[in-house]
Amino acid sequence: MSNQQENNHFSFRQYAWAQFKKNKPAYVSLWILGILAIIALFAPIIANDQPLYAKYHGESLFPAFSTQNSYEIKLEDGTVEKVQLDIAKWKQMDLESSIWALVPYAPNKSDFLNSDYKAPSGKQFFKDKAGALVDMPGRFRHRLGTNKKGEDVLSGLIHATRISLTIGILSMGIATLIGLVLGSLAGYFGDSKLLTTRGQFWTFIFGLVMAYYYAFMIRADILADAIGTSGSAILLQLLISLAIFIAIAVAFRFIGKLLGKLPLLKSKTNIPVDSLISRAIEILISIPRLILIISIAAVAKPSLINLMLIIGLTSWTGIARITRAEFLKIRNLEYIAAGQSLGFSEVRIIFRHALPNGVAPAFIAVAFGIASAILIESGLSFLGIGVPADVVTWGSLLSSGREAFQAWWLVIFPGCAIFLTVTVYNLLGEGVRDALDPRLKT
Amino acid sequence: MLKYVLRRILVFIPTLIAITLLGFVIMVSAPGDPVERMVVAAQAGGEIGSQTANQVEQKKFWSRKLGLDLPIFYFSLNTMAQSDTLYKIYDNNEQESLSRLTSEYGNWNEISDYYASVTSLYNAHSDLKVDSSTALGYDLNTFKEDVNTSFFESSSLKAAYSLVVLESKFSKLDELYSKPYMAPLKNELEIVKGKFKTVQETATPWKKYIPVLNFYPKNQYHRWIFGDGNWLTGKGAEFTNGVIRGDFGTSYTTKMPIQEVIGIKIFWSFFFSMISVFLAYLISIPLGIQAAVHKDSLFDRVTTVLLFILYSLPSFFAATVMLMWFANPDVLHWFPASGVEPVRGFSPDAGFFERWWERLPFLILPIISYTYGSFAFLSRIMRVSMLEIVNQDYIRTARAKGLTERVVIYKHALRNGLLPIITVFANIFPVAIGGSVILEVIFTIPGMGGESYNAIVNQNYPMLIAIFTITGVLTLVGYLVSDILYAVADPRISFSK
Repeated sequence: MSNQQENNHFSFRQYAWAQFKKNKPAYVSLWILGILAIIALFAPIIANDQPLYAKYHGESLFPAFSTQNSYEIKLEDGTVEKVQLDIAKWKQMDLESSIWALVPYAPNKSDFLNSDYKAPSGKQFFKDKAGALVDMPGRFRHRLGTNKKGEDVLSGLIHATRISLTIGILSMGIATLIGLVLGSLAGYFGDSKLLTTRGQFWTFIFGLVMAYYYAFMIRADILADAIGTSGSAILLQLLISLAIFIAIAVAFRFIGKLLGKLPLLKSKTNIPVDSLISRAIEILISIPRLILIISIAAVAKPSLINLMLIIGLTSWTGIARITRAEFLKIRNLEYIAAGQSLGFSEVRIIFRHALPNGVAPAFIAVAFGIASAILIESGLSFLGIGVPADVVTWGSLLSSGREAFQAWWLVIFPGCAIFLTVTVYNLLGEGVRDALDPRLKT
Repeated sequence: MLKYVLRRILVFIPTLIAITLLGFVIMVSAPGDPVERMVVAAQAGGEIGSQTANQVEQKKFWSRKLGLDLPIFYFSLNTMAQSDTLYKIYDNNEQESLSRLTSEYGNWNEISDYYASVTSLYNAHSDLKVDSSTALGYDLNTFKEDVNTSFFESSSLKAAYSLVVLESKFSKLDELYSKPYMAPLKNELEIVKGKFKTVQETATPWKKYIPVLNFYPKNQYHRWIFGDGNWLTGKGAEFTNGVIRGDFGTSYTTKMPIQEVIGIKIFWSFFFSMISVFLAYLISIPLGIQAAVHKDSLFDRVTTVLLFILYSLPSFFAATVMLMWFANPDVLHWFPASGVEPVRGFSPDAGFFERWWERLPFLILPIISYTYGSFAFLSRIMRVSMLEIVNQDYIRTARAKGLTERVVIYKHALRNGLLPIITVFANIFPVAIGGSVILEVIFTIPGMGGESYNAIVNQNYPMLIAIFTITGVLTLVGYLVSDILYAVADPRISFSK
């Protein structure tokens, strides 16, 4: 913000924010989203079957925060008791004092006493410290019931919030990145503005093939081995490949510049950036998105990261189109011409000067996009496609309710969670749209 | 106009190619070995015995029948070290180990010799006989056990590529072959070891760093699209006529031609999506108009909120809840829970209409679930587009002329208000087909969506890709239709560029 704008007490950003705040549903949605984000962020503290704090034989323990696998507790008689954190029956242990998480259960861990669909308000059982079977004390009740295996539904919902929000936001993050870059390139350069010498163009294309060859094809075995091991190994090998790729591509760019000075290769050609990108968008939107995602998810290894990538790589078209349209307007403005005449590089003009001004409309698409990404994720996990079987998600909870209709809590609560999140993002999208473009207000 | 349609169809072709390519890439990268799968299925069906020789023949046959003995695409970028005939090895594991060996040592000819010697070691097991002179003093059981171990080790030698594993296998076999009755294999093993040594000695790892481009006129993609006969006429096809002639191959599960399965299944998907699109338009147009004309009235505010809720409500949630309440013997058993017709079949003398009447209870819940989302979406668009038009000058003029409100709205405003709703036809149509996967699974409707779900569960990839391709083509047609409709409806739009 420049000084002048501050003096006049007006900037587009402030205006948009004021408009947005006037839109009550959208403003409330922002708050709900904040709460959901907090739930997602602190899920392991809100719902955990290990106590947050426990005093056992005089020792203060913090099982829920601990990174150890087990504690070794010195008993009064001098022997050592080993407490395995994840399998210890904390609720039956003789703790001198304890602080429990709000929901004292973990997802994916069965409470065998309450298996076979225990209703939220129905009779639930508990084994007390003496080992006797008693009625569930209020503190340890399964507030939203259990499923067939006796897993706590509320805890599952809380941890699934994390998965849904992460997938929604990260997949749209990928989509936004691709969409903004491709959209701004297409809009800024159009079909005729990216000029290059013939030599440079073909050398660069050739260089890309070579870079791919040396970075990924030769290293295919190494990469395949890395995927079989750990996450950090994959990352390391991918980074090495990427570094090789960039190095070779840059090298060929320089060779291309030199070759472009030769007589025969000197003639200028323009690259139809806009046509290329627009055709790619057309092709992608003419394939039904859900069928495409389902097909890819079916052949890929089920994992949340893969799912995120698949959704992200198929969802960028809307953002790209909007950004392209915005850049078609922006590229004719004076400040772009000013930047060009100052000799700024195209990259600098596009990403430092034009993009901040053209990014606003994309926000609308991002908000709606997150809503639909969450919808797709829950739909896929409802079908059990692309999501690992042991991960509890809203969709998988809902799906498990189909097997037993008497367990209405398995359908209603996860369904409402999906509905709420999707609605919140949709309302947010509408709010942003109205705030950014008052003309569209209805 | 005609020119526009022709041009539009011309753009069709690259998009079609892109869709088939995408489908093909997904199919090729699907996990699992189809050849293995078909052979195992044939064994389970009792069609072939599990004798090794027979199994090898079967593998060869299936890889030829499925076209897997061909290179994947028209061209491939490869390293100079790699043989360009590697795809002819029909076993996935062996292919993998050979590819790794070549990228390690870079001398295909020697590696190929080595591979031949391993195969001959493996085959030599069939000549192994118990001879009184060699087996003297050994138990028959020990002999059998040793032969089995050696059999297993030598076959796993084919799939081994790392130096450590190979050497440990060599030493293990060495030990095994020290027994006199294993002598015939010992020589074979010596040959194998010798060949491997040659591989190591004549290694040319630098070849790995030189890229080579190979071209293959006959390849899996070409075969999938055009069949294995003449590409234009389809004459002389042995196994497949190609997608272009409507031959999508055989289903892995039912062994029926895929196009036949889809021909049966497509009816219900089409039926539901068409009915739902029709109903959605039928309800949303008057609703949108009413809401827009009486802007900010109670009716408008209530419908706006309701439509927004419906729009955000996930269809699988709504469908499950409806099933839970209206098709549940414990609550309200108004509708059957699954299928599209009575399990016991229709009444024997039921005519066409009676049959549909008996079907009706099965169709109501699915139709509601299919419809409400698109109807909410359409109504919202209709309302917005009408609102924009109602405020325009020509409507004010019409009112000023003293025309009745009815005429103003339905004759002047509606025409232009309908335009955006026509364009979204193309958006609704694919959603109606694609989105049906979940609903067809929930209501067990025997349509394409349910079939594609089954295909995923059973890893029946040719079926999945066939559905993918067909849906893509149908979507393209949907876009074309809506573009043409738009051009017809709005004379201001000129497509001749």
